[in-house]
Amino acid sequence: MNLPLLSALFTAFALSLYVLLDGFDLGVGALLLAQSDERLRDRMVDSIMPTWDGNETWLIMAGVALLAAFPIAYGVLLPAFYIPLIVMLLALGLRGVSFEFRYQVEQGRRFWDAAFGVGSIVAALMQGLIVGGLIQGVAVDGERFSGSVFDVFQPFPALTAITLLAGYVLLGAGWLHLKATAPLREFAQRCLRLAAPAFVCLAVATCVTAAWVQPGIRAAWAAHTIALTVICVLFAGTTAALLRAIGGRVDGRPFFLALALFVLGVAGLGFGIFPDIVPFRLTLWAAASSTLSHVFLLVGALIVTPVVLAYSAFAYRTFRGKTPEAGWEA
Amino acid sequence: MSFDPAILARIQFAFTVSFHIIFPTISIGLAAFLAIMEGLWLKTRDPLYMQIYRFWLGIFAMGFGVGVVTGIVLSFEFGLAFAKFGQMAGPAIGPMIGLEVLTSFFLEAGFLGIMLFGFNRVGPKLHFLATCMVALGTLLSASWILSANSWMQTPDGVVVEHGRVVVTDWLKVIVNPSWPYRLPHMLIAAYITGSFLVAGVGAWYLLRGEHQAFGRRTVSIGLTFATMLIGCQVFVGDMLYGKMLEHQPAKMQAAEGFWEKQSQSPAPYYWFIVPDQQNQRNRFALGTPYLGSIWLTHSLKGRVEGLKNTPRDRQPVMGWVFYGFRTMYGLAIIMFGLCIASLWLRWQGRLFTTRWFLRSLVVMTPSGVIATLGGWYLAETGRQPWVIYNVLRTADAVSPVPAGVLLSTLIAFVCIYALFMTAFLIFTFRMIRRGPQAAPSEPVATGSLKHALKPAVMNDPAGRNPAPVE
Repeated sequence: MNLPLLSALFTAFALSLYVLLDGFDLGVGALLLAQSDERLRDRMVDSIMPTWDGNETWLIMAGVALLAAFPIAYGVLLPAFYIPLIVMLLALGLRGVSFEFRYQVEQGRRFWDAAFGVGSIVAALMQGLIVGGLIQGVAVDGERFSGSVFDVFQPFPALTAITLLAGYVLLGAGWLHLKATAPLREFAQRCLRLAAPAFVCLAVATCVTAAWVQPGIRAAWAAHTIALTVICVLFAGTTAALLRAIGGRVDGRPFFLALALFVLGVAGLGFGIFPDIVPFRLTLWAAASSTLSHVFLLVGALIVTPVVLAYSAFAYRTFRGKTPEAGWEA
Repeated sequence: MSFDPAILARIQFAFTVSFHIIFPTISIGLAAFLAIMEGLWLKTRDPLYMQIYRFWLGIFAMGFGVGVVTGIVLSFEFGLAFAKFGQMAGPAIGPMIGLEVLTSFFLEAGFLGIMLFGFNRVGPKLHFLATCMVALGTLLSASWILSANSWMQTPDGVVVEHGRVVVTDWLKVIVNPSWPYRLPHMLIAAYITGSFLVAGVGAWYLLRGEHQAFGRRTVSIGLTFATMLIGCQVFVGDMLYGKMLEHQPAKMQAAEGFWEKQSQSPAPYYWFIVPDQQNQRNRFALGTPYLGSIWLTHSLKGRVEGLKNTPRDRQPVMGWVFYGFRTMYGLAIIMFGLCIASLWLRWQGRLFTTRWFLRSLVVMTPSGVIATLGGWYLAETGRQPWVIYNVLRTADAVSPVPAGVLLSTLIAFVCIYALFMTAFLIFTFRMIRRGPQAAPSEPVATGSLKHALKPAVMNDPAGRNPAPVE
């Protein structure tokens, strides 16, 4: 059995779930800066309060799965993205404590909301920077990162950073559209109208530039022409449906269509870099750990992941529907 | 000015991990305490238990939040600053931490929302289940982490091939020689920490003459648990001491402060030393005569082995190890004394009125946290110069990251974490000063937990939320 491939699928699954779930959390956080009414900000935070912690856990899962299954890649990629990763972790930390601390204060809540918003935006940008850096390529010598930690600060990763932020804002606005009652719902609609076209334009620009800066992407286009074309067509169709759904009668539709855009984006990226774990440098088999490590991780994941998904779903179900205007306990 | 990247990487890891461990220690202890309180409330329906639950839940939530965000950092730091460690040990510790995330992080995260905000969304029994699941999550998390860390202390069940660890026997990796002793030691430490925290705050109320019922109940419960646990801890700690003497003699040699291969006879028990690692001697030492022989060799004139038994390039730095150990051990002796005193005062019926005792409890509120930190300094600095004992040296594990970048991120960590700690302390003190009646005594729809977390709103006469009646 091809264990490294299974482990890679599990890692990709965790990372995708993280992007989808924490994506809307971070988007809602970023939108806090655009909302001047403090009571509405309270409700925005309320909408993500019960589940953000679980959403963020998928990031740790992905990181640790990388450590367990692909330690060589872990040891190359983490030093390569040292600066954006540390900044992201600090930003996520600032945002995480703001959840708890903003309720402690009445006067200084603006400060914690600003920290929350800035933390969300910086975390999103850093994640985008890392994706861009991955596509652009990481300098590897044997099993060691041989470039400079500043390599990632280039125009192309900056473009992916802004693209990802726009995507998260789109998801966040979609989430608010789903969870909020008027007038927050109107705010969400306005945000969706701006974020949807912005994200799609940026995403197209990113794809074109990626093929330009990275020959590996052009090779992937040549190898998977049909699959990637199908993804592009679906992306265009979903975009059209999303633009129509904003302000429509079904509150959840923009959110789920935005999620679909992200799934397509992740799938496209997957076709672009498979079977590499350090894109265009190291394949996942070359970076893999020994058999028993995969077995242990995979058996654990196989047994526990369904349970985790079940009670995560239960938590979402417990807090389903519109977020109560006076908080969860009202 | 130039810095050694290895030193900076170690300072950064030490700082972030020391800061982090404070919060899980509190969370593990408080989660168990909260589960017991809610269980007692379900059984007796005494509103006082619910009040205690609500009050401590607010502090637990904040501590848990800080613990989560500082913990995420750690799971990446294995690779950020210690890439070679991640590459070498990833196959062994990676799957264990992976299972930790799967079995406990998600358990905590999934049920924490219900625990904090689900009072009106689920029934009381299901809510109790959520509390128990969060407590179980903290316990499982500690179990996996102690397994991974103990494997670094006493690696087993692997062979090294091409500079990489290959697991041959998972059972031996997880149940490595020191884990069965270190896990209970840490769990009991966390429960003692929670007990002294709860008793200390209760004692503060009793001293101020406020919230008498709450104060009496929490002092009584806190001390009951502390007394039972400290007895177990002495026993477990002693067994662990013997185990580490067997596996890492250098650590225990450094912990007792002796340099010569054989100490003088009778050996004193040192309380204060100024070690001189360079010249392999103490510049100054203060101890109790005979006590070293009695405690360490169980004889009147026995000699104790010193650090010179270990070759110099394999020695830990004595100062860190010695003072880590003395901090933990000294506090444990004081805690033990207070617990004995509590039994006497309880028997005399003066437990809630003896002011010197209550004052000592207030002073000892953070003692569990400090003792736990001391213990971890003993464990981690005593393992040096190895990151994986006898397998990989810490200096060889460091990532190719320039010193200037490491220094910048270290400063950033210090600034942001200082903000976290300041805010956490200010808000905790404020909650304590406001008192338990700010938390509603019944889980009813009008008095929400989140409103309890927003006391300023309730104190505002024009606020949206009516203040709950006690």
